[in-house]
Amino acid sequence: MFIASFLARRLFQGALIVLLVSAIIFTLLRVVPGDPVRLMAGGMAPEALIEQIAEDMGLRDPIYQQFGRYVGGMLQGDLGQSFVRPANGASVGGASFDDNTRSERAEVWDLIANTAPMTLQLALLAMVFALIIAVPIGVWGGLRPGEFPDRFALYLSSVFVSLPNFWLGIVLALVLSVKLKLLPAIGYDGFAYTILPALVLAVEIAPFIIRTLTVSVAGVMGQNFIDIAAVRGLTRNQIIFHHALKNSAVPLLNLLGVQFSMLLGGVLVIEFIFDYPGLGLLTINAVMQRDFPLIQGIAIVTAAAFVLINIVVDLCATAIDPRLEY
Amino acid sequence: MALDTAHSTEALLSVRGLTVTLESEGKTRAILEDISFDLKPREILSVIGESGSGKTVLARALVSWLSAPLRVTSGEVLFSGSDLIADKAYAKSLAGREIAYVGGNPAGALDPTMTVGAQLVEKLRAVRPDISAADAKEKAIRLLGAVKIPSAERRYHEYPFQYSGGMMQRVMIVDALISDPALLIADNITQPLDVTVAAQILKLMRELNADFSTAILFICSSLPVACDAGDEVMVLHAGRVVERQSSANLVAKPEHTYTRQLIEELPTLWADDRKGRDTPPNRDQQAIMSVRGVAKYYATRGKTGKALVQAVRNVEFDVFPGDNFGIVGESGCGKSSLLRLLTGLERPDAGSIFFEGENVGEASSKRLRALRRHFQLVLQDPYGSLPPQSAIGSILEEPLKIHGIGDRKERRERARAAMSEVGLNEALYDSLPTGLSAGQRQRLNVARAMILEPRLLIMDETLSALDQTEQGKLLDLFERLQAQHGFTYIFISHDLTMVRRVCSRIAVMYLGETVEVAPNERLFFDPGHPYSRALLSAAPTLEERRYRPEDCLLEGEPPSPIDLPPGCAFASRCPHVFERCHKENPALTSRGNHALAACFLDSNTGAKDSIHD
Ligand SMILES: Nc1ncnc2c1ncn2[C@@H]1O[C@H](COP(=O)(O)OP(=O)(O)OP(=O)(O)O)[C@@H](O)[C@H]1O
Ligand code: SF4
Ligand SMILES: [Mg+2]
Repeated sequence: MFIASFLARRLFQGALIVLLVSAIIFTLLRVVPGDPVRLMAGGMAPEALIEQIAEDMGLRDPIYQQFGRYVGGMLQGDLGQSFVRPANGASVGGASFDDNTRSERAEVWDLIANTAPMTLQLALLAMVFALIIAVPIGVWGGLRPGEFPDRFALYLSSVFVSLPNFWLGIVLALVLSVKLKLLPAIGYDGFAYTILPALVLAVEIAPFIIRTLTVSVAGVMGQNFIDIAAVRGLTRNQIIFHHALKNSAVPLLNLLGVQFSMLLGGVLVIEFIFDYPGLGLLTINAVMQRDFPLIQGIAIVTAAAFVLINIVVDLCATAIDPRLEY
Repeated sequence: MALDTAHSTEALLSVRGLTVTLESEGKTRAILEDISFDLKPREILSVIGESGSGKTVLARALVSWLSAPLRVTSGEVLFSGSDLIADKAYAKSLAGREIAYVGGNPAGALDPTMTVGAQLVEKLRAVRPDISAADAKEKAIRLLGAVKIPSAERRYHEYPFQYSGGMMQRVMIVDALISDPALLIADNITQPLDVTVAAQILKLMRELNADFSTAILFICSSLPVACDAGDEVMVLHAGRVVERQSSANLVAKPEHTYTRQLIEELPTLWADDRKGRDTPPNRDQQAIMSVRGVAKYYATRGKTGKALVQAVRNVEFDVFPGDNFGIVGESGCGKSSLLRLLTGLERPDAGSIFFEGENVGEASSKRLRALRRHFQLVLQDPYGSLPPQSAIGSILEEPLKIHGIGDRKERRERARAAMSEVGLNEALYDSLPTGLSAGQRQRLNVARAMILEPRLLIMDETLSALDQTEQGKLLDLFERLQAQHGFTYIFISHDLTMVRRVCSRIAVMYLGETVEVAPNERLFFDPGHPYSRALLSAAPTLEERRYRPEDCLLEGEPPSPIDLPPGCAFASRCPHVFERCHKENPALTSRGNHALAACFLDSNTGAKDSIHD
């Protein structure tokens, strides 16, 4: 009962947010300089042809009409077609303005559907690595505030935070892949290719998890019910694993939600360095090619993912701490 | 109880020469010195002492819960013959199993993310692993029923935040007793509770003592409660045991000067009626504050969607210049909400509040700010209400600055004058409030309120955090200030003895309503509402009671102010309830001589006075 009304409310809010995001992106992309048709058709194309293509594609209509059409398509799962990518592979463009395969351009939805699972896999693995590193260190630090474990957690986090990710990526690739030949690094040809970039990402997000955990575990350990639990006869293991960790989980969960959203939306640098065929790489290329429909599509899908992740996080949080169910 | 056959005549707990010290900044100070006493199986021993006398430290030492900077430096705590201080592992094995502990703060004592039932089972099975989960659950529900938690079966599955303070304290008692301990250490367990609920808990504890044959060390800070609860009373003073006697003997023949003084200073409700200040103020003048049918509702989101909390309903009274007006009632009865209305912090949803003829509820916010100069508020919490970073002098000058009064020099003068008037040393002008004791903080709060020379001072539980002696001093201060400046006071309090001592006229609130408004003498000797009688019956006192708890109050707690049923709000606990009470809500009706009560049983008494006097 509660869950149904909660979901209905949040999904409705989420839909509004996604709509708003697409409106903003849509408008912004149309006010930045640079005519995409010129790009598609190539610098040599005659002015009249460009005008005609633009007219055909509806690019000369008022923005609200274009947007209306776009939203109409979106509701049917149609995010439009890429300006530059053909359905069958390498991007078109350049001088081939009279190339008649142009009508066979790739569906934005397909482009995203092909790359998103790759990014999802990368993000999940990075999350797992980060948790494996951060949870023991963070909890240990939180149980002994002010003592060595706490300081260790702080030092380690500082080191991790100060490593630039592109540098770490290159160093790890050189050491683990080129020198030791343990892991493949560039491109994608099987699950092993995900490990290196995931490691780099894990090092990037682990400090935040460590910090959140030390703070929340230390906070919970100072609370009355933990203090009195030993007098009530509970064992130390029960106190830490049943009570302290559960109570520290809500802040952690919120953080993980934010981190995961960030991983989905923006692992640009890492995917670029490792030439990992995920959403990030797709975004970079789309931006460089001024592929408006693709940029739009990615933005909207990412916004929707944000919304969904948030809903899931809030549901989990209320499952852990029933006081949050208001 | 395996223990009571073997040791029924010997002491269950025997403390010998226990000394606990506090180490800070290289110095050591003894908190407990050479404490020795015995506790026999099934015995209830009360421990009493003023705040800071070391009661909590004693309780913690007995359950091996002392942490740095506190340390046991010598002595033994023998539990059925073995020393808990020397043998930590033995002490640990007894914790929660044979030696149980209940503290004075039930609010945070259980994990907020787990159901109460699950935690009771977890605890029982932690100390008695041989009990199956199903048996543990069955026992938990049975004990929740035994401590009178309504519909225990359902409550078992609820979370701590769904319990009221009084119910949570009962849960903690169940938590302590569920393992059938031989000894229960109860540290101030009734302190956070309302008097009527505290009376129920005490009764419950004695029943449990009889049913489960648990010995109890009952620690508290109120002499009447200690005498009421225990077979014997042990008096702790500055970390030493100064005497131990049976309850009756202690009151009749106290041996130590501290005890004698304690008994002498104990405020009374009925004896010595010179104490009540029943000088009725002149009622022909204009009332300084007059409250007419005021109501305030808050919308909350309950389990089933929107719900309305009826925090204040039908509140009616007049306060005349020179009055000491008291408002009493238990927690949650709407005192604080009413206070926010009186001071114009919130506006009423119905009715009106007049301050010297001006409607506070409708005044513009600019006008309200000007009016607030004339009525000031002194708050409950001596710790939370002062900004810790400002010096005492600037705290006092701030209200003057806000209202743009005087120049720098003049403000300084007035701040110093106010300090000396409330008995704060002027040398403290530049120091921070952090070093002040609770009593000094309250003096500072009073000084801050009176610096604007108001006509009306509203005191919200101002004295409840102070001990008996300090309370007395502040009440004298209030009296002196009243004589000098002609203040009118409104005291909001749950403490009947305090109200009896200082107030001339008293309003009793129950579930947001004023159910009785009467002069001091009349309320204490001839209360017109059954709830007033219940309050009087539960008030802690050593005197012979005019009203017996058995006759005056049904079990239970006030219903929730959300979705109140129609009829008299007290009907669910009233021993005199009859049919009409469930249909109509009685209005405040005069009983003659300026006394009013809202009960059908009383409506036909008294002359037809005007309601508002
Ligand atoms: N953890 C601690 N650190 C420093 N001082 C402490 C600590 N615990 C208690 N004390 C000191 O020990 C003395 C006795 O305190 P205790 O809490 O036992 O008093 P109490 O009799 O329980 O008072 P109350 O009636 O207010 O509960 C006080 O002077 C207090 O300041
Ligand atoms: S009106 Fe009825 S229920 Fe209410 S207090 Fe009087 S007798 Fe009791
Ligand atoms: Mg104490």
